[in-house]
Amino acid sequence: MGNRKEKKGMNKVSIFESLPKRKITRKGFLKLCGIGAGSLALNSALVKFAFGKEEVSTGRPGKKIKGLHDLVVAKGGDPYAMTVKAIEAMGGMGKFVRKNSTVLVKPNIGWDRSPEQAANTNPQVVGALVDLCFNSGAKRVNIFDRSCNDQKRCYKNSGIEKIAREKGANVYSPDDWNVVKAKFNYESPMKGWPIYRDALECDTFINVPILKHHSLAGLTISMKNLMGICSGNRGLIHFDIGTKLAHLTDFIKPDLNVIDAYRILKRNGPSGGNLADVVDMKTLIVGTDPVLCDAYSCVLMGQEPSSMSYIKQAVKYNIGKGEYTDIAKSDILTIEV
Amino acid sequence: MKKLILARKLSQALFLLLFIYLLWLTPHTAAFFKIDPLISIFSLFSLIMLGATLIIGRFFCGWVCPLGTIIDVCGIKAKNRDTGFLRKVKYYVLGVIVIFAFLGIQIAWIFDPLVITARFISLNFIPSFTLALDKSFIFLIKSLNFYAPLYDFYRMLKLSILGTKIFYFPHSFITLSFFVIICGLAFATKRFWCRIICPLGAIYSIVAKFSILIRRVDKCVNCMKCKINCRMSAINEDMSYKKSECVLCMDCVYDCPVHSTRFVWPAKPAKPQAKDSITRKDFLFLIASSFLFLGFKGREEAAKKKLIRPPGVKNEHEFLNKCIRCGNCMKICPTNGLQPAIFESGLIGIWAPHLVPEIGYCEYNCNLCGNVCPTGAIPKLSLVQKQEQKLGTAFIDKFICLPWSQNKECIVCEEHCPVPSKAIKTYEEVIAGKKIRKPYVDISLCVGCGICQNKCPTRPERAIRVLP
Repeated sequence: MGNRKEKKGMNKVSIFESLPKRKITRKGFLKLCGIGAGSLALNSALVKFAFGKEEVSTGRPGKKIKGLHDLVVAKGGDPYAMTVKAIEAMGGMGKFVRKNSTVLVKPNIGWDRSPEQAANTNPQVVGALVDLCFNSGAKRVNIFDRSCNDQKRCYKNSGIEKIAREKGANVYSPDDWNVVKAKFNYESPMKGWPIYRDALECDTFINVPILKHHSLAGLTISMKNLMGICSGNRGLIHFDIGTKLAHLTDFIKPDLNVIDAYRILKRNGPSGGNLADVVDMKTLIVGTDPVLCDAYSCVLMGQEPSSMSYIKQAVKYNIGKGEYTDIAKSDILTIEV
Repeated sequence: MKKLILARKLSQALFLLLFIYLLWLTPHTAAFFKIDPLISIFSLFSLIMLGATLIIGRFFCGWVCPLGTIIDVCGIKAKNRDTGFLRKVKYYVLGVIVIFAFLGIQIAWIFDPLVITARFISLNFIPSFTLALDKSFIFLIKSLNFYAPLYDFYRMLKLSILGTKIFYFPHSFITLSFFVIICGLAFATKRFWCRIICPLGAIYSIVAKFSILIRRVDKCVNCMKCKINCRMSAINEDMSYKKSECVLCMDCVYDCPVHSTRFVWPAKPAKPQAKDSITRKDFLFLIASSFLFLGFKGREEAAKKKLIRPPGVKNEHEFLNKCIRCGNCMKICPTNGLQPAIFESGLIGIWAPHLVPEIGYCEYNCNLCGNVCPTGAIPKLSLVQKQEQKLGTAFIDKFICLPWSQNKECIVCEEHCPVPSKAIKTYEEVIAGKKIRKPYVDISLCVGCGICQNKCPTRPERAIRVLP
């Protein structure tokens, strides 16, 4: 060992002299260029093969399962009990979740706020749904949302990650590389929008929004909650938001909508942050038609359903029932918990 | 069995891994800087380090320093040269740093080895490592269709160590090249940086001159092996050694063919060494050379107006003097918004953190940067205090803003504004039968977090921008 080092120390050949003395010929130069170009092409082909796949989807096939009632409204209890009772009144989770199926529960985890600030779905509601899904024999329950604030902080501070993990659900952050492009049979501003694949590849889609004030949309309820499965520059959805949300709802066709109205953010939504803006309402709404759910929630908040652009557009495209008269006609069961 | 060398290598590897671990996964990143006398001379831990050096010598350089470890690895195959009097350069470097400290300008950040390593790990190593890991997972999952359970594992990693966001620092190639040059010098001769430049090494070598543990050669056969192999060029022609240069790497103990080299506790006080310190001429040269760095004193007022500093920073001058550019805050910032400055605030502000809202905003419920700052350049604030800090003010460009210029509905900025009572207000205007809400900024409420600029959908220019 020492000997070798010693020799190295004595060796006084400079770096330049030790370079191979090879002349560059025309042929050699061309060869080198050829090898370079070839490897570059191979490299780009490999990258394309690895990361360049693009898929198109026409959306989820709707299951069109009807519950026992059009809407079930639970009032007065704690969020967990209200969820269980309301789903029971709807006909039980077994109606919507088959054995060994994959369920996506899509809550609103958009903001780095605590449950008391009522910017995210109540974690107890999510926990109850996860329990119900597993009790009905679901193989897998996925939970994700693309949040507006830092993903990790939102998951943690909303309390949803902890409770859902404890109950055995998969809580994860959606990946921007695992998307499909939306395709519509009609002209749509949402055409080509990247949608997270997991939102489409599930057997049951349970939409769990929180009812709260939204500066642009008026109120954010189940249709607006679907924005959380969109990738891309989502700010652009805000332009012509009514049509875009209506088409997105048609694209996803959520099987069950569970609207958490336990605590309501009255002003300064959607992010909130001020406890003075939060009102206890202790209500939970369950329904299969997202448009009807949204329309009913509007009435609950004392607003005209037709004043919400997305309900108006959904009615126009015949995606669901959202007129004031539809609410009067529908079968609504109110239960006290 | 080279037990001592094995122990040294283990210790080096352990401290390097500990260093990376602290930077990557914990908010306790300040720990290593507390034992660094060049940065926190009055901290208890650095005094302990100096005390330990007084007993056994420059063990820090040989056994602990993560940069020393990396340089050792780079120099495995390097030729070994005698660098002679060049070892004095590091005392000049230290002298210049001390003189500037008295003048009120802190330049220790350029030369401190722990800072250099931390910056490299935070700004180069971790981002590229996580990116490579992420891409290979994507390749396996997407192209080879390895979905579950690999995908579940990948998702678990993403919410734990990998992070949901792959960090990106646009100018990190500068920190990389700085680091590569320092390590690359080891190809010229082993431990080039440690022998010649490192000012932290200079502090330790001044102290180590008086250390108790000594190297003793009993029966020398004049084979010169130890002298040729010494990575610090610390052994003289007559087989005595410069105690201040020795980093206790223990190579000479095993190089000795007659096994007569040992490190021992002396029975009687060691002989005073030959004079090997800075002369008067050297000192004058030192004073003269320190003017070379005057370029660091830039025009601070002009610089201050250009950059958004981390929350709680009030005085730009004080901030730049306290900041050692270790990159901890940029590593910990959850949105990747804190970025190293280049020349925006002059030479003196290079690599100091500033917020770039288009890359990432300041998270309203987060005060991590102040908590990890080892020197208090970013003040440690409670969450409530931090939320009141004003980083800058948002301004709306009406020529780009969609509601103002194109009558389109948008107000994404208002939606994201984290201030509970919304610093961005809107008023309604009916144009051609369409209700359009147009945003404006309430300057008294705006904290300048930059989320509005970050989320603004207009491209390539954002319609709302935060100015300091």
